[in-house]
Amino acid sequence: MSRDPRAKAPLGGVRIADFTIHAAGPFCTHLLSQLGAECIKIESRTRPDAFRKPHAVYGRMSAATFDQVSANKLSVRLNLKQPEAVALAKRLVALSDVAAESFRPGVMKRLGLGFDALCDAKPDLVLLSLSSCGQSGPDSHFAGYAPLFGAWGGLGWMSGYSDGPPMEVRHAMDHAAGVHAALATVAALHQRRRTGRPQHVDLAAREVASAMIGDALVLASTGVAPVRPGNGDLGMAPHGVYATARPDRWLTIAVRSDAEWEALVRGLEQVDTDLRFATMPLRLRHREELDRLLTQWLAPLDADETAARLQQAGVCAHVSWTMEDIASDPHLRERGAVTEVSAPDIPRRLAVGAPARFSRTDDVGIRRLTPTLGQDEDYVFGELLGLSAAQRADLEAREVIL
Amino acid sequence: MQSNASASAAALPLSGCRVLERSRTVAAAYAGRLLAAMGAEVVMLEPVGGSPLRRAAPLLQDSGESALFAYLSVGKRSLVCDLESRAGRLMLARELASADILIDDTPVRSRPAHGLDPATIGARFTELVHVSVLPFGATGPKADWDGEEVNLLHAGGEGFLLPNGLSIELFPDRAPLKVYGHFGSYQGGATAAFCALSAWWAVTEGGGQYVDVSVQDAVLAVGAFALQRLGDGSLEHRTTRSFRYGGVFEAQDGFVELLTLEDRQWSALVEVLGQPAWAADEALLDPLERSRRGKEINGHIREWMARHSVDDIVRRAQELGVPAAKYRTPAEVMAGDHERERGLFGDIVLESGTPASVLVAPFQFRCTPLHGGGRVPPLDEMARESSE
Repeated sequence: MSRDPRAKAPLGGVRIADFTIHAAGPFCTHLLSQLGAECIKIESRTRPDAFRKPHAVYGRMSAATFDQVSANKLSVRLNLKQPEAVALAKRLVALSDVAAESFRPGVMKRLGLGFDALCDAKPDLVLLSLSSCGQSGPDSHFAGYAPLFGAWGGLGWMSGYSDGPPMEVRHAMDHAAGVHAALATVAALHQRRRTGRPQHVDLAAREVASAMIGDALVLASTGVAPVRPGNGDLGMAPHGVYATARPDRWLTIAVRSDAEWEALVRGLEQVDTDLRFATMPLRLRHREELDRLLTQWLAPLDADETAARLQQAGVCAHVSWTMEDIASDPHLRERGAVTEVSAPDIPRRLAVGAPARFSRTDDVGIRRLTPTLGQDEDYVFGELLGLSAAQRADLEAREVIL
Repeated sequence: MQSNASASAAALPLSGCRVLERSRTVAAAYAGRLLAAMGAEVVMLEPVGGSPLRRAAPLLQDSGESALFAYLSVGKRSLVCDLESRAGRLMLARELASADILIDDTPVRSRPAHGLDPATIGARFTELVHVSVLPFGATGPKADWDGEEVNLLHAGGEGFLLPNGLSIELFPDRAPLKVYGHFGSYQGGATAAFCALSAWWAVTEGGGQYVDVSVQDAVLAVGAFALQRLGDGSLEHRTTRSFRYGGVFEAQDGFVELLTLEDRQWSALVEVLGQPAWAADEALLDPLERSRRGKEINGHIREWMARHSVDDIVRRAQELGVPAAKYRTPAEVMAGDHERERGLFGDIVLESGTPASVLVAPFQFRCTPLHGGGRVPPLDEMARESSE
C-alpha cells in the first residue's frame, strides 16, 4: 500500500457548517478538518468565539495568536440575530454535509436553525448538537463547563485521592467529548450514504464523562459501591506514580504479572525475598508496604534512565512528562503527533498534529492556522453562495454580515 | 445490542458494517465497543482461554466476573481464533475476507508470526480498513514500548498536570494523580474508531488502508491546550493551573463543582450567596481583581457552602444561571432522572446470569435511537452456535 501523492485525506470532499464555540464542539470539527473535511466557522463581531477574546482565568489578556481548535477552519461572519443572516446560514447548510453546533439546547431553534428547519434546506443533513446535558431530559437546560461534566457524570467522584475530595477534569474532558462527537458524526455520514436520510446526533458531554467510568457503573448497577482507587489499581501491584532523585520528576509504573514483578526487581538491581510480595494477590493485599519499598528503591534513581531500563526489561514504565518533554520528544515528532506550525504573523511554534497516520495519504493534519474573523468570505459568500460584491457590501452595511 | 443480527438493527448508523477486533488492551476493545453500540457487527477474535480483559479489574464480588469486560464487550460476538496455529491463521483470513474493518492491538514485533502484518494484509484484502491501536503507536522510535493507563496518561502530558484545585491544596506534596479508570485509553479507542470510520468512508474512492493510532498521541490531543500554552510562553503545572476561584467545594452533605467564567455568572453567584457584605466591594466587579483575590473569595464561598446542602445550592445556582453541579456517585448517576429519561442505561445479563445495567453509548442518534442492553458474549459462542 504505497502512498499515492494524489490520494486525498479520508474526509476530503465533506463540508461542515460549523456553529460551535468554546472547546468541545470546536475540537470535534477540528478533528474532522484534520482528516480533510472543509470546515466553515460561522461567527460575528458581536458574538466571536472565546479565543478571539482575552481569557483572564488563564492569564491571557488579549486574543490568542494561535488557537489549536480553530486551526484548519475557514471563517465567515453572520449576525444570526438578523433573519437575512439566518437565511444565508441555511443556504450554507444546504451546501454542506454536516452542520455542527454547541449552543444550549433550544438556541438553534430560536434562531430559526433547528433540526427541522435545517432539514427543509438540506433534506439529508447530519446535524451534530453537542451540549453539556443533551437535547432532552430534565437537566437539558443546565449550563456547564468541563469540570461540571465530570461532576454530573460520576467521573469526578471516582477520580481523586482515596482519602480526599473528588477531582476536577479540565480541557481533557471537553476534548474527550469532541473526539466522541467526531466519531458519531462520521457514523451518521455513513448512515446517510446508505439510507439518504437525515440524522440528528445528540452528544451530552456529561454522558461522555459517564462513559469514562462505564466499569464502575456496571458495578453500581449490581448494588456494589465502587471504590475510588487514586493512583492504585485493583488488579495491578505495584502500580502508581513514584518520586525519584530529582524533585518533581515522577516515574509511573504498572506491573501486570508475577513475571513483570520479577523483571522489575531485576531491572532495579534489587533482590526481593519477601514472601508478602510473591504473587499478585499478595502484592495487592500488601500494596502499602510494597509502595513503601518501591519508593525507597526509586528514591536515589534517575527517572528517565530507569524508565528506559525498565522498558527494556519488559516493565510498563514512563516518566511523568511535562509539556517541555513532549515538545522535545523525537517519537511524537516522527509520528506527526507534534508538529511545527508558523504563519506570516505567527512565529514558529508547536501544535498537535494528525490524530493518526494513514497509509494511503499524508494529507492529514494542520493545513492552515487560526483564521482571522471573516477571512474566507470571498470563497464562501462569493464562490459558494454566489453573492456579488455589491450584495455583500449591502449586507455588510445593514450588519447582516457583521 | 444483542439484537445486532435482527431486522431492527438495519436502522442503526453502522448497520451492515463488519468489524473484527483483536484486543488485549482497553483502547482496542473500547474502539470495537463504540462501533458495536452504533450497530456494527463486531466479532472479537479471542485467543485460546479468552481475552485477558475477561479477567480485568474491577470484578464483581460474587461471580468474579469483570465489570470492565462486561462494559467493553456487550453487543459483540466471540470467536476463539488461535493465531499460534495454522488453522487459526486460516480462520483469520476467512473472517477478513468479509470484514470492513480490522482493529488490532497485537504488539508490532508479534504481528508477522500471527498473520497480522499490515503490508501482507493490505495486499490481500484491498478494501479492508486495518486499524492498529497501540500504547505508543506502531511507528516511531518508541513503537515497541509498552504502557498501561497510568503510564500513558503521563506520557501524553495530562498526568503531570493533575490534580488541581482542592485536591492539590489539601495534598500539595503528593504525587500527581491519575484520572479514574482508563480515561486515556478511551481517548485512544474513540480516536481509533473515528479514524476507522473515516478511512472506511474513503474506501469507495481509494480502497482500504492501514491506520496507525497511538494512545499516547490521543492523550496529548485531548490535552492540546497545554501545548498551546507552552507556545504562548507558559509551562503549565498542576499547582498553578487551578481556577483562581471556584472549583470543588465541600457542602453539608457532599461536594459541589462551581465555576463562574463570565461577569453575569459572578453577579448571579453573589445573589446565590445572599448578597454578603464582602461581595459588595466594588473592586470585585473587575474580573482581574477577582482572579487576584481568588483565594479570599474561595474562603468565603467555602464557609457558606459548609452551611448548605448540595441539592439546595445546585438548584438555586442553576435557577440563576450559575454553573454548579453535584459530584454524583456512580449509584446516583445510575438512578438519575435525567439519565433515565434519556435511556442512558440498558439492561444486560452477565455470563453468570447476573442482571446488570450498562451505559448504552455516549451519544444519541435522535432519528434512529440506539438499542441498549444485550449480553456479555460467552467465549467462542460463535463456534458453538455453528456446531449446534
